[in-house]
Amino acid sequence: MEDQKQKEEFFPKIVGYLCNWCTYAAADLAGSSKMELSPSLNVIRVMCSSRVDYNLVLTTFFGGADGILIAGCHPGDCHYDKGNYYARRRYALLKSILETLKLDPERLQLSWISASEGKRYVDVVNEFTERIKKLGPNPINRNAYY
Amino acid sequence: MRLKIGVYVCECGPNIAERVDIDRVIKVISSLEEFEDIELVVKRYKLLCSNDGQAFLKNEIESNALTHLVVAACSPRDHESTFMNVCKKTNLNPYLFNMVNIREHCAWVIPDKAKATEKAIRSIRAGIRRTLHQSELLERELDANPDVLIVGGGIAGMEAALMLADEKRKVCLIEKTERLGGKSIFYSQLLSRQGNSAKMIQQKIEAVQQNAHIQVFTETELESVVGFFGNFEIVLKVGKETELQTGLKAGAIVIATGFRLLNPNKLPQTVYQKEDEVYTTLEVESMILNEGKISLKSGKSPQSIALVHCVGRDEKGYCSTICCSTIIKIARMLKAKLPQISIRVYYRDLCLPHKTDQQTYEEVKAEGVDFIRVKEAGIQNTSIEYTQIDGVKKKESADMVILAPAMEPADGTEALAELLNVSLGETGFFQEAHHHLNPVATSIEGIYIVGAAQGPKGISESVAQAQAVSGKILNRLIPGEKIVPEVKVCKVLEDFCTGCQTCLEVCCYGAISFNEVKGVSVVNEAVCRGCGNCVASCPSGAMRAIHFTTPQLYREMIEAIR
Amino acid sequence: MNNTYDTLVIGSGIAGMEASLLLAKGGKKVCLVEKLPLIGGNIIKNEESYPHLECSTCMVAPVQQEILQHPNIDLMMLSTVQKVEGEAGDFHVTLHQKPRYVSLTACIGCGMCYEPCPVSLKNEWEENLSDKKAIYIACAGALPNVPVIDPEHCLQISGKKNCKACQEACMFEAIDFSDQENEVDIRVKTIVVATGFELLDVSHFSHLGYGKLPGVYTAMEFERLFASNGPTSGELTLRDGEKAPKSVAIVHCIGRKEQGYCSGVCCMSSLKHAHFVKHKLPDASITHFYSDLCVPGKLSQKFLHQVKEEGVHFIFQTDPEAVRVAENGSGLEVKYTHGKGVQETLSVDMVILEPAMIPDKTASQIAKILAIDQDNHGFFRTLDEKAGSTETSRSGIFVAGCAEGPKDAQYAVIQAESAVGHVVRSLSVSHTE
Repeated sequence: MEDQKQKEEFFPKIVGYLCNWCTYAAADLAGSSKMELSPSLNVIRVMCSSRVDYNLVLTTFFGGADGILIAGCHPGDCHYDKGNYYARRRYALLKSILETLKLDPERLQLSWISASEGKRYVDVVNEFTERIKKLGPNPINRNAYY
Repeated sequence: MRLKIGVYVCECGPNIAERVDIDRVIKVISSLEEFEDIELVVKRYKLLCSNDGQAFLKNEIESNALTHLVVAACSPRDHESTFMNVCKKTNLNPYLFNMVNIREHCAWVIPDKAKATEKAIRSIRAGIRRTLHQSELLERELDANPDVLIVGGGIAGMEAALMLADEKRKVCLIEKTERLGGKSIFYSQLLSRQGNSAKMIQQKIEAVQQNAHIQVFTETELESVVGFFGNFEIVLKVGKETELQTGLKAGAIVIATGFRLLNPNKLPQTVYQKEDEVYTTLEVESMILNEGKISLKSGKSPQSIALVHCVGRDEKGYCSTICCSTIIKIARMLKAKLPQISIRVYYRDLCLPHKTDQQTYEEVKAEGVDFIRVKEAGIQNTSIEYTQIDGVKKKESADMVILAPAMEPADGTEALAELLNVSLGETGFFQEAHHHLNPVATSIEGIYIVGAAQGPKGISESVAQAQAVSGKILNRLIPGEKIVPEVKVCKVLEDFCTGCQTCLEVCCYGAISFNEVKGVSVVNEAVCRGCGNCVASCPSGAMRAIHFTTPQLYREMIEAIR
Repeated sequence: MNNTYDTLVIGSGIAGMEASLLLAKGGKKVCLVEKLPLIGGNIIKNEESYPHLECSTCMVAPVQQEILQHPNIDLMMLSTVQKVEGEAGDFHVTLHQKPRYVSLTACIGCGMCYEPCPVSLKNEWEENLSDKKAIYIACAGALPNVPVIDPEHCLQISGKKNCKACQEACMFEAIDFSDQENEVDIRVKTIVVATGFELLDVSHFSHLGYGKLPGVYTAMEFERLFASNGPTSGELTLRDGEKAPKSVAIVHCIGRKEQGYCSGVCCMSSLKHAHFVKHKLPDASITHFYSDLCVPGKLSQKFLHQVKEEGVHFIFQTDPEAVRVAENGSGLEVKYTHGKGVQETLSVDMVILEPAMIPDKTASQIAKILAIDQDNHGFFRTLDEKAGSTETSRSGIFVAGCAEGPKDAQYAVIQAESAVGHVVRSLSVSHTE
């Protein structure tokens, strides 16, 4: 019972690295359409999803984030030609790094959300939040690092 | 100097004020312990983007002598530039300002006011932290050379040269062969129109040759190009003796290298020898233009002519766009010259995308040209083997066969692409910067593409592109005016750079080069667009996106999830 | 507002926007006139653009933002050109601007005003597939994000009732019922006409059932149905709002014969529509009725093959427009000719008609006002003797985009840049004189 209660109260800390041109615009559209979004997501704006490097993702987990969402333009739509393809490659490698760190790779998600997909943005964020809620808090002890 | 940060929370009328407890936000932010050694000015305002709001903000910056500014309001996509412009009117560098979006990310999407307020507080804290790690950035201006180098003296290259020279731009036009005009000199008529193209082309060639602003180099190729938009340095290989000409400078380069026709002999379904009465569209046009008539090699007049579309379409994987209308144009010329003979056209799909083509087709059909729809067709010397649309195979023969082969990139396209560091698309033509929005530019700023070098097209479309390039260059490279490159670029920390050159590979804009002497990468800030891909690819942490540094993003993140 | 400009650009579609921005960046003063209350033209109605299926909003929204923010561009929405006098180098232009009733500077786009409005209307920008209020924006994400009032249906403005619901809901005092229409005189040196296209009205092809059979859609209706910012948030449901189509027929070349030209881009958009259906409803069966597959250009055939591999059927018709669409129980049936004159029937839930592109309905009027020639289809004529040029029959006036003839966005942008080249040339001529 106690356990169950704790899980319900768990308020995950999620960091969203959103590309300026597509997904950040989708977030704006979700906002202006007054859609309901999980408050767990904390948005950090980057110019391109390809800016998000291994270091940033890992320190975000070490810093205590329970989940990370990287979101950018659909493949082929990148404002900088091919940046999102690089983001995809890094994502694939990061997944396996997370495994070796005994972090569930499901805690990291890469999504393509275009500027007109306000609703999809909300769905992706809310579903990801639910998933992180099920996974529970990030097992890495932040204080061990900081 | 003691830091003094101004944090201004916009009420956005009721939009933020009713959904976020702004008083609580101000109370929490004002009393944050971690900002002890920093002076904080935290205030609310009803609508910061209004004229009054901007005046208020300007006064706040000046009267408080703020060193940093945070505005918590709407999306930076709406008003970041508004507030940066306010900063520019004061002594505060606009890059020491940061905008926190508490409307689209909090007020409008989180119905629970307490939760929205908590998220707003987290976001503002994160924004303050980020701002403290931002540095002053300055806009720079670069001198630019307004002269233009054009590679290729076909219709597209000549048209671009004439448009630019008309505006007194110095143009250097280089052509690989010994004459101007490219393939267009073989055309006797324009597509879909009755205009006399031979005359038009001849006039253009003369105009180019006589224009004092255009310097023409025939039998000339590019040897090397270094530099960037506004400042290219060029070496040419001139004449049969290939003597090198150095010292040439230009602000922009236009690629106008055109196309060649696919050699039908390479295809298994078109089997014929040189002595057979089989011609390509270009050969026939040239025959009509030069001899004024159609005749067989024997000198006799043909009694039947077959025209075959789509030669190489499947093999190349694309439709060359203009072959259908070219065939129709040729069929009409043949009918005019030899009204009594049989002219049969074997086509698969009629691709007539120009608004006048369909009408021409109807007319030519009415004049007695037979159009036979086929699934596929091949030739064995001058006999045509084809499959009807219902699957029945047939064989017919004609005195003369005219093939419409696919257009291919010109010889030397790959080498030129490599020399200029621009990309080729999957079908081998030069790749435009953006399919829809920037079709005559390449991913390298200052290098443009026109005509069939960019993809299969006819004279009209090539001319339109050439004029488009002149529109771009005339507005982007203005004599006496400087160019202002992107401010939020990437930079190399030379001490950390190991010289692995990974960044050179990932940069889509060719903005990074390698300094062999120092053994480090160098970012050309005039070309960099600041996406940050190189930063993420650098294994030694030597690359820095100066307005999206790791400390900035890291601090923002840590505060956001505190 | 300053009243002298280097260039007047008519129409804010992809061509008009590109021409305006390129000139503005080169330091030229531009007046951009748009008849609608929003900018962006037809391209923003498409969720994705072929051949890369690139999100149109992601592509165009930054351009729209730049237009709205550029200091060298004065944008006049809800405006039309009334009169043009003078000549190249000094045109005297009279513009007519309809009232918006909402202040562009005061409104922040919060959208609080829509809900209290008691009036419900069909949203014609959404091809009448959704409703709007008498105060509205065309769709979520429309730019500028400032609503407009329909004066005919607004209770207050039409004098039906003293309703101030929207004004009371607006906290920014942005709504002004007394806003008046306006005549503005400007002087410009050059003019770029970029009034774009519309799709042929297909309701007069009575055998195709459009307007009578709810399962029959036009290409533009389907685009909005697919759009994630559209009437159904991108869900492919039939007009009843519940059922998803299990089978779809796509009929090409509607109006090609009547108009006498091939629009050149409809085959690609038809293929895109087939791909859209497959993407969202993988089990749906799709049949194209076509006569020629006109998919020109270096990338398009690849897309054709991709769509074929997705399991889409193609049935050849000598004249696809001759197919007949009739009611069949709760669905539809398409009667067509198979092979040598054999009549066949295909039952489907949805029919998408792909109509010809025709000039915008204002084209003839604009031609008269500007005194420029039209071709026999109503598109603006360029100089025949200068193949490919964007010069019209009148000096100082240039044309770009689908106002000149059917074309894709790429070629529209090329023409816009070409028109800009001519504008610059024309400006320096008038300067030296």
